[in-house]
Amino acid sequence: MSMAPRTIATDRERCNACVACMRVCPTRAIRTRGGEATVDASRCIECGACVEACPRDALRAVTSSPADLERFKLKVAIPSLTLYGQFGPDVRPGQVLHALRQIGFDRAYDLSWMCEMVGSATDAYLSECQGPWPKISTTCPAVVRLIQIRYPEMVSHLLPLETPRELAAKLHRRRLASELGLDPSEIGIFFITQCAAIMNSIVAPVGLERSNLDGAMAISELYGPLRKALREHPGSESDDAVSPRGLGWAMGAGEVASMRNNATIRIRGVHEVTEVFDRIEDGVFQNIDFIEAYICTGGCLGGHLTIAPRHVAQRSLDRIARQLGEGQGVKEEKVRSLLREHFFDLHGEIAARPVQPLAGGLRQAVAVKREKDRLVCALPGKDCGACGAPDCATLADDVVRGQATIDDCVFIRLEALQRRREACQEGEP
Amino acid sequence: MSEEVLFRQSFTIRGGDFEHGGEVATLVKSYLKQLGLPADVIRRLSIANFEAEMNVIMYAEHGELELSVLPDAVRIVLADRGQGIPDIEWAMQEGNSTATPEMRARGFGAGLGLPNIRRNSDEFEITSTVGVGTTLRYTVFIEPAAEGPGR
Repeated sequence: MSMAPRTIATDRERCNACVACMRVCPTRAIRTRGGEATVDASRCIECGACVEACPRDALRAVTSSPADLERFKLKVAIPSLTLYGQFGPDVRPGQVLHALRQIGFDRAYDLSWMCEMVGSATDAYLSECQGPWPKISTTCPAVVRLIQIRYPEMVSHLLPLETPRELAAKLHRRRLASELGLDPSEIGIFFITQCAAIMNSIVAPVGLERSNLDGAMAISELYGPLRKALREHPGSESDDAVSPRGLGWAMGAGEVASMRNNATIRIRGVHEVTEVFDRIEDGVFQNIDFIEAYICTGGCLGGHLTIAPRHVAQRSLDRIARQLGEGQGVKEEKVRSLLREHFFDLHGEIAARPVQPLAGGLRQAVAVKREKDRLVCALPGKDCGACGAPDCATLADDVVRGQATIDDCVFIRLEALQRRREACQEGEP
Repeated sequence: MSEEVLFRQSFTIRGGDFEHGGEVATLVKSYLKQLGLPADVIRRLSIANFEAEMNVIMYAEHGELELSVLPDAVRIVLADRGQGIPDIEWAMQEGNSTATPEMRARGFGAGLGLPNIRRNSDEFEITSTVGVGTTLRYTVFIEPAAEGPGR
């Protein structure tokens, strides 16, 4: 099975195989056997929880570098709305876009208007959709991957619309190529991202053959240069293009704020997301039309590649939104005409990627399951992680899949040692 | 005729335990996924089990859910000790649930009651004695053609 490229890399020099990353991994994809953390790519959802948890910075998000920019004649930045909240309440979105143009991008475009359009397109889709209910947002790539892997039956619940970042890149490339007479491949469009998951959605896209984006740069890496540019050339660009409704996508109210439909709920953080998804599998929440779900507890403002603490960023964005007032809003005719040409549609299939069952046939699987349950009973249940698996049940799973042995458990080894010592003593004359 | 049970396990449900509501259904679901049962079988059983579990939590004092995996079917027997159902015929009609709108709004049970369990199973049986309790037996067949997880 070919593995999709990953965007979280382990620095072997720094990693000392402690258990910090393994403990927080929501899909139990990490093992720390053999002196370093290894990730099972078939289980990883690229959420970045491990990046945040690592005390030695050994796990890092691999994002685009300045050298990647140089490959293109025209360099375009589309910043995540999260970026607007990084520099305090007095820095306006127009100034942030201006600063991006100071640090090496030829163009920088606001994303909020596209967020508002996708909100309207979502409303239109939901009003004609036949179910299954509820539909789930595809904005957070880690949530999409979680569904593919852990809730494979629920892929049909994913909203089959493209994300604002992909759509904006598609539209800008189309327009710039014709306006400037460039070949589309000469234009490099980069997302300024708050997380590794989005970088992953570019190098290993789901539901589309090829991403419309050419890469992503981390907010944390551009923060210094941007701050300097904002101080030296603050600019006085207007915020006319910024949509206050679309801005909601970065904030507490999120996507659902840009929609008319109010049979919606929003969930954040792995715990909340799995709690609700477990219930959707059980047929609950059919009275809900749409769920906005983010893997990070703080939504995108809590992404691991941000600088400003999320409550500070939230406050800044609230103030920016208030100053923008009502804004002019996206014209409905524009959305309707784009809907007619299926501009928003996700063209590819989102495939289920379920974790392998314990064995092929039912009889063998039952035998293996019994063996696994027996091992779980034999293990101490301390979930210490010293064996290299995150908890005892996962070690038992690894053992029956032939990826570990029960002796990897230090408690089992100690017991065996104790028994041998006692046997020796009894054997003495 | 004796039947072959490949796997059997019991799970306890406590009446009124809303805090852990749905955990048995989730646990059974994880077992069925590990055994690699067809996705459709798991989906139907999950809906039925959750509904049945919430019935115990909402209306009974105590329940035991027994999961039996047979070569060609999965069978659930859920016996509870509780108030029982005075009029089974009424309770089995679509839309007749005593779940309050508030219970439904909080995500307790699809609020579709017993007919939802019958709809999601291939065999369904219910017996109840007022003041004693209710026993549900339902089975979902494993279609031989659909062996393996949904891909």
